[in-house]
Amino acid sequence: MGTKVYFSTWRGEFIDNRGKKPEEWAESGYDLPATYSTSQDSKAFIGWDGVSLFSEEVDVVRLATEYAAQYQEYSEACGRCAPGRWGGRILYDLLDKIARGEGEFSDVEHLKEVSETMMETSKCEIGKTVPIPILNLMEHFEEEFGNLIREKRKSKHYDSEVSYIAKVTAPCTDACPTGVDIPAYIEGVRDLRFDDSLQATRGSMPLAHTCGRVCPHPCEDACRRSNLDEPISIMELKRIGSDFETDHGLAFLHPTEQKPKIGKKVVVIGSGPAGLTGAYYMALEGIDVTVYEALPVLGGEVAVGVPEYRMPIGKYEKDIEAVKDLGVTFHVNSPVDDEMMREFEKEYDAILIASGTRISKKIRCENERPEIQGYWGAIDFLDKVNLYEKYGIKLTEEEKREHDIKEDFVDLTGKTLACVGGGFTSMDVVRCAIRANAEKVIMLYRRDEKTIIRNTTYEEYHEAVEEGVEFKFYSAIGEMVDEDDILKSLKINTFELQPNPDGGRPKLVQVEDGDYEIEADYVIPAVSQSADLGFIPKEWEIELTSWKTILTNGRDYQTSRKGVFAAGDAEYGPMTIVNAVGQARRAASVISRFVQSGEISLTDEEIMEDHLKKLGVYNKKEPIRGWLGNQKREVSEKLGVDERKTNNREVNLGFTQEEAISEAERCMRCYYISMVAT
Amino acid sequence: MYEMLLYLDGGNMINFKINGKDVVAQKGETILQVARKEGIYIPTMCYLEKTTPIGSCRLCVVEVEGYDAPILSCQSKPTDGIEVQTDSDELFKHRKNIMELYNVNHPLECGVCDKSGACDLQNKTLEFGLSCQSFTAKEQNRPKKDWGRIQYDESLCILCEKCVSTCNEAVGDDAIELHFGGYSSSIVPKGSETLDCTYCGECISVCPVGALISKDFKYTANAWELQKIPASCSHCSAGCEISYEVKHTSTEDQTQKIYRVTNDYEENTVCGAGRFGFDFGNSETKGDFSEAVEKLRNAKSIVFNSNITNEEAKILSEVSKKTGAKLVNREALNFQNFLKAFAVNAGESLYNGTLEDVADSNQVVVIGTKISTDNPAVRYALTQAFKRNRAFISYLHPVYDSLLQNTIRQFINYEVGTEEGVVALLVDTILENSELDLDIGYLSGETNVGEEELEQIAKISKRATKKTLVVGADLIAHPKAENIAKFLGLVQRTALWKVLIVPPETNSLGVAEICELSDEAVSPSVGYNMKADFVISALGGDFSVPALNQQEGTFVNLNREVVKTHVAVPFEGRNLNELANKVLGSDVENTIDYTKELFGTHFDDLEIFHLETEITSPKAEVSEVEDLPTFDGTLIYLSNPHLQFSPFTEKAISSEAPLLGSEQFAVAGKLSDGDEVEFEILGEKFRRKFQIDRNLRGVIALNPIFDMGLSAYSLSSNYRFQKAKIEKVK
Repeated sequence: MGTKVYFSTWRGEFIDNRGKKPEEWAESGYDLPATYSTSQDSKAFIGWDGVSLFSEEVDVVRLATEYAAQYQEYSEACGRCAPGRWGGRILYDLLDKIARGEGEFSDVEHLKEVSETMMETSKCEIGKTVPIPILNLMEHFEEEFGNLIREKRKSKHYDSEVSYIAKVTAPCTDACPTGVDIPAYIEGVRDLRFDDSLQATRGSMPLAHTCGRVCPHPCEDACRRSNLDEPISIMELKRIGSDFETDHGLAFLHPTEQKPKIGKKVVVIGSGPAGLTGAYYMALEGIDVTVYEALPVLGGEVAVGVPEYRMPIGKYEKDIEAVKDLGVTFHVNSPVDDEMMREFEKEYDAILIASGTRISKKIRCENERPEIQGYWGAIDFLDKVNLYEKYGIKLTEEEKREHDIKEDFVDLTGKTLACVGGGFTSMDVVRCAIRANAEKVIMLYRRDEKTIIRNTTYEEYHEAVEEGVEFKFYSAIGEMVDEDDILKSLKINTFELQPNPDGGRPKLVQVEDGDYEIEADYVIPAVSQSADLGFIPKEWEIELTSWKTILTNGRDYQTSRKGVFAAGDAEYGPMTIVNAVGQARRAASVISRFVQSGEISLTDEEIMEDHLKKLGVYNKKEPIRGWLGNQKREVSEKLGVDERKTNNREVNLGFTQEEAISEAERCMRCYYISMVAT
Repeated sequence: MYEMLLYLDGGNMINFKINGKDVVAQKGETILQVARKEGIYIPTMCYLEKTTPIGSCRLCVVEVEGYDAPILSCQSKPTDGIEVQTDSDELFKHRKNIMELYNVNHPLECGVCDKSGACDLQNKTLEFGLSCQSFTAKEQNRPKKDWGRIQYDESLCILCEKCVSTCNEAVGDDAIELHFGGYSSSIVPKGSETLDCTYCGECISVCPVGALISKDFKYTANAWELQKIPASCSHCSAGCEISYEVKHTSTEDQTQKIYRVTNDYEENTVCGAGRFGFDFGNSETKGDFSEAVEKLRNAKSIVFNSNITNEEAKILSEVSKKTGAKLVNREALNFQNFLKAFAVNAGESLYNGTLEDVADSNQVVVIGTKISTDNPAVRYALTQAFKRNRAFISYLHPVYDSLLQNTIRQFINYEVGTEEGVVALLVDTILENSELDLDIGYLSGETNVGEEELEQIAKISKRATKKTLVVGADLIAHPKAENIAKFLGLVQRTALWKVLIVPPETNSLGVAEICELSDEAVSPSVGYNMKADFVISALGGDFSVPALNQQEGTFVNLNREVVKTHVAVPFEGRNLNELANKVLGSDVENTIDYTKELFGTHFDDLEIFHLETEITSPKAEVSEVEDLPTFDGTLIYLSNPHLQFSPFTEKAISSEAPLLGSEQFAVAGKLSDGDEVEFEILGEKFRRKFQIDRNLRGVIALNPIFDMGLSAYSLSSNYRFQKAKIEKVK
């Protein structure tokens, strides 16, 4: 942290090192993009919250002019209100007039006048904030502006080549791992143009049905609306566009027209969210994509992990069909091995590994032996449940024997199931167990209720409790007790939080004499998962992280082996769907250039995206102006507990039209534009 | 109990203040809506009541105490206790600045602009006292766009987006959109190079400036010279409220002429036939008056259609009573019989649904009509039901209508001719605990309506709170109409569903209520705008009478409302009343003197009112659905294109009339696009150009009838699917 700056007004900081030697310059407390890329320094950064100069050389008048010009240029978000549309153009025309030496002092007054009306009345934040750094510069560099006007001369770099790189963002977009243009898809709902809404989503998120249902929505934690009342229900508004497309049987609305074939081939390992996303965006770029999937069905964990009642398979299949619509070839029941990988490397121009993390980690308790009947990994348990519930694939005789199941599907009638976890996977296990008619379902969690809610969602926890899951907090398994390799009971240790005398996080300490025992027929470890990377040829010597996932630099997703890329859980470790989508989208972009040029590169848009993420777009302390508060967040109707707990019907009924419009109207369209001068 | 009280005590009411005045908002109402209700003025340039708030002009910003920046009133819902100020120096300054921005580079061509005198930009510029322009921006090249009947002038456009919202939310064409691009933003056709729409012209209607105009109207008149004649559109049973805008033809010719049709776009949405098809007045004065009187006196039958006012229908009834002539109007008779049969089980004489019911519904089932062209007003109501309420709309018809794809959730294609079976299945589906004894398997097989499709309707019906069933002309002219109507009567009786039976012609309902009708004409016959031995008509014939825009009178529209129309263009000859006076030996001065006889009020004092339904004791009698017919061979559906309804619209608007066939139809008939073909339907010979319509599904072709002169009316009184042998013309 800390950036050396010459001058800065960024986010309320005022640093003025004019007249000081560079070594005496005071530093900014913000992580500002003083270095644009490894090969390029930047001279200035200007955006919605102020301006920072990294060099004395900057032509501030030209900088202000270019910022206004970029606002015009990048005004996809604009054109929709009178002050923004004309005001922005007038800002630019007047600034350019001054910069080329034809300005007058009345122009400065008009600039201020237009700025004020833009700031007070524009439709989106972009129109409201564009004047801010311009006014900053006019105030603090008044002399520079005044001199040009008095002397009727051009600004110092008016005719020289300076490169300016701009990017439009929003706090929610910035917080989204795949950078979905959230204000645009919400605007599509508000304007009752659901096709536009969907197209905006698919611009960076092909799984619109899925992430309109089961995304943990980190965007909502960065929603500026929470500074005023409550965050927008961003995730749920997403499904409206995709439901419209599906319900009306429309042809798939892709964000851009698919490019003609470029004669390059890429193979993708795994058809989960990361694999599908990578395939989708590469196919849009005209690449021939082939996907290998080990399971008999497509879709990875969303298909075989996430239960039907949260993510109806019919809807997920529509997301998958959108990928197929671009001509991607899929092979199911096709696990790959090292021999195949060696062949792939010869045959294809690049490989994207998106094989996920499908090994359930151990609980780490006494007598934890895989051969005990009743000990059943969460991933495998959910596979079996979902393959039957969604696809009608029955248990084999061997599987029935192994898990002591009488029916062709996971039927837990009369059985007690305990699950160890605390994340989304464990929630899926216990709620599926309820639907499998278990007599008793217990969730064991080492920490407290608050933490489990933070790690999942309030709705998820609340719905599980309603359905009859018994939560035991501060509890962990000490020992599995069996009789002839058949699980009988679990010895439970309990814990308590002890305040840390040195301050900091309280410690979890085992309670003496707190042990107890519960009877259980099944114990499901859902602690975490690890990646099974045995299919990668040893001699490739792919570097791994300390978590035994594939190592990349987290920006271009190339592995230590050229031409081999990795994205999703296989790279990051078990994480969210949207994280996998975001990584794969970036990887697809990098690969689409790599297959043409052999080089690894990022676009300016991507470089800026990374800079802004580091800098942080959302400012939770910022007061909101121009919006009426106390407007309640809409909550969609859910199936009642008795209506849902014995079946797989989708629990969330989604917004009614009235609710959707009302919720979309709360969105403040917090678009921002920022620009770097290099 | 406390919570309960809170709820009753205005859980849905918000109390707040505007300019110090205590006001109340209903849940969901915006500050602007409350202000308007209270008569408090807030300026707007982009606000439309009939769409969701657009929020592009920003003029409606207001101040709220405790908030340091202005709040947009069109979109903000008030909260309890807030204090709103609609005017202040600060607000005035911003609004004035916005108006100044609107005027940047707006061409100073008010002298020739069609909108001048009725222009929101002019009005608001004056209102804010803009006398000089302090902002400048570089001018850009903005060529005019030719969009068929519509001209778009980008340089005049203020990008308020009213046109875009209306087209999407009220009409449903979704044919235009805003092309984003800051200063160079413009309105563009959506997804195509040029405008591809149904040409309702509603975009022209809502345009606050002269950016979207009717090409025909361009440069013909100034807004302030035109006189508005209130009227009801005579082209279909929606009977939309319109104004004929008239002035003299030229300085030499002082004859009054219609220059355009306008509508109050907040009140209704008018289709292209209504807006552009106004020039159908009769300028001929053919025939001998006493001959016409004699023919009428001696006629054994008087043949007429329902494109007629109630008063004229009444006059014909009086003549018939006096002379014993039979009144023949098969279309209206079908409708009358349909209503009669419907009433048996409905327990009342009339259907109970309206356009508003359709628009407010969250479930609608449409059956037996190509509604987008049969009755555009119903289609607009469907659009609104979907857009506002995301209504689940099921559309049951043998012909797929791609225009409705975005609106309709479920297309159910049934076999031609099996309507009775389809209705039976449908009614069985939507009646909870139906006691109908149906052979579901047989009906489902013959009609091709799947049980799952019906189950989906039933499932939605369980949750839907406002439901409407829309019934169209295919069922009314059906050989099994009586039993079909009886089935439908059961639906209205449940009170859970509204039923809207769309009258096939403009005034079918009025005629059905007024006249005693019979089926077959006998000679000597007189036709009133119909073919007969002697033809009295506003479209040629033996004796000329005025057209409907040359007459005063009333219609009964599909909402069962009695609506009025007035004289827009003069007619030099004699009218039906004058003929009838001779036959009846009476001396009724004006046609509208019959209004009082019909409705008890003099025409001038008549306000729009609903026909009353007669309550009877409901029965539950339906006949068993017997063997359903099968139609094999080449099938043709009688259906007009957009903008066309009848020989009157044809007179006013020229459009092509091809036989539109699906690709399968072309293959089956060995036809190619552009072939000349001949065929005969119901004794009428057609010669048409064949065109392939790739949006049609199944072996079907659509054949227009609007260009068939007076025969169009007799054709439209039949079941609309007909077999025909298509011959290629060598």
